[in-house]
Amino acid sequence: MRLRTSEYFIREVLISLRRNHWMSFASIGTVAVSLFVLGVFLILVLNMNRLASTLESQVQISVYFQEDAKESLRKKVLSDIQEMQGIESVRYVTKDEAMARLRERLGDQKYLLDALGEKNPLPESVEVTVRLPEMVQTAAEAIEQMDGVEEAKYGQDVVEHLFDITRLMRIFGLVLMVLLAGATLFIISNTIRLTVFARRKEIAIMKYVGATDWFIRWPFLLEGMVLGFIGGILAALALRSFYAAMAAKIYSTLAFFPLMSQYPFMNYVSAVIVVSGMIIGTIGSTISLKRFLQV
Amino acid sequence: MIHMRDVSKIYDDTGTVALDHVSIDIVKGEFVFIVGASGAGKSTFIRMLLREVLPSSGVLEVNGRDVAKMKESDVPYLRRGLGMIFQDYRLLPDKTVYENVAFAMEVIEAPRRLIQRSVNAVLDVVGLREKYKAFPSQLSGGEQQRVAIARAIVNDPAIVIADEPTGNLDPETSWDIMDIFQRINAAGTTIVMATHDKTIVDTMRRRVIAIEDGHIVRDEARGVYGYEA
Repeated sequence: MRLRTSEYFIREVLISLRRNHWMSFASIGTVAVSLFVLGVFLILVLNMNRLASTLESQVQISVYFQEDAKESLRKKVLSDIQEMQGIESVRYVTKDEAMARLRERLGDQKYLLDALGEKNPLPESVEVTVRLPEMVQTAAEAIEQMDGVEEAKYGQDVVEHLFDITRLMRIFGLVLMVLLAGATLFIISNTIRLTVFARRKEIAIMKYVGATDWFIRWPFLLEGMVLGFIGGILAALALRSFYAAMAAKIYSTLAFFPLMSQYPFMNYVSAVIVVSGMIIGTIGSTISLKRFLQV
Repeated sequence: MIHMRDVSKIYDDTGTVALDHVSIDIVKGEFVFIVGASGAGKSTFIRMLLREVLPSSGVLEVNGRDVAKMKESDVPYLRRGLGMIFQDYRLLPDKTVYENVAFAMEVIEAPRRLIQRSVNAVLDVVGLREKYKAFPSQLSGGEQQRVAIARAIVNDPAIVIADEPTGNLDPETSWDIMDIFQRINAAGTTIVMATHDKTIVDTMRRRVIAIEDGHIVRDEARGVYGYEA
């Protein structure tokens, strides 16, 4: 494309953005809102996936005793576990140790535990690490069968729950996305239709003097792309503040949550959002051109 | 320039026969009037030259291009060789005289320096160099048609096609327009003009092709209008 030609296209796009400024404004707004929602789902799903896979990789089993299990029975359980195949390590966690860990995990909010006074409601437990993640389930089931054992918990329950939640979120997000994309396409193609209508005389003359079809189409495609691009930029900026606020909130309350760090993660998300905006804008104007611009 | 052999046009939707086995040759440098009542087939004839409608059968060549067989993507290049002028001028109201004419060159991506030179030259030809900053609404009908002529010839087409160019103008202004056409024609451009203006046709004594009911009923080298005005 020649420099002169691209200048011409840019001028045409600016003219029509100004001419239909309310429609342009509405298009940009719709794109921005839709992409923001898409972005929120993207961020949530990616973080949930990460949380799930982090938990999955922790091949640790926590074994809790029955309340009435005698000291001797507890010792027997401990040695039985040690004799099992594929066990990496076995560690006894006392009530005091459990309390100390909780204190550490709570960080700034450890004062909450002051309310308990001298009482320690945390149970004793045994932490069992297996050599291979595949063995966690069989080992946990075997330990649970032992006398005096209340339950043997491992990450899998939580992980499965998390996967259920992410699956739901993905489906919900997808449905919402389809609806929003439909609305966005509709409003963009209508904006472009107005532009086509406003310029129908010019288009007719362009055809008579021998402008090529692509020369006629370009300013309209470009206009859709620009609407999508601006909407995408706004959505990306909003998402960045949203994520920063969310991250701050989570770090102060759920410090152990393995959140994606803001950079470069949010740069990727922003790029996806802006590119999606441009694609939606281009598709929107293509729909309009197919229907209203017979070239 | 224009070569028609056995060309027919039947509109599919209505079954109307607009042109019925028409054969005609127009050579370079000719000045041709197309006459005939409304609905006789004149506008089909003109739209076919521009490939706005395709012939149903027969061979049509314009500037050496086979109109029926050409690819859709070649149509713009066919039209660059044709300058089109309408009864209602069809100028862009929000562009100045200069911009209206330059527009025809911009959209075929002509170089900027060539645009300036050519636009000034054709505005001289139609005598509107002084009014290059004016908007169409500030011009008389005759002046607007002169701008349209300038736009039609600025890309130096081999053929100028005019559809009732004097239809909205008074006799005196019409003669100004015809004067410009004569000069363009004298410079070697072929002119095909559909008209209802008896006085003009009878005074100019150029080639006249009369179309009635889709047939060519008369083709005279130095003809007259031949119908009651």
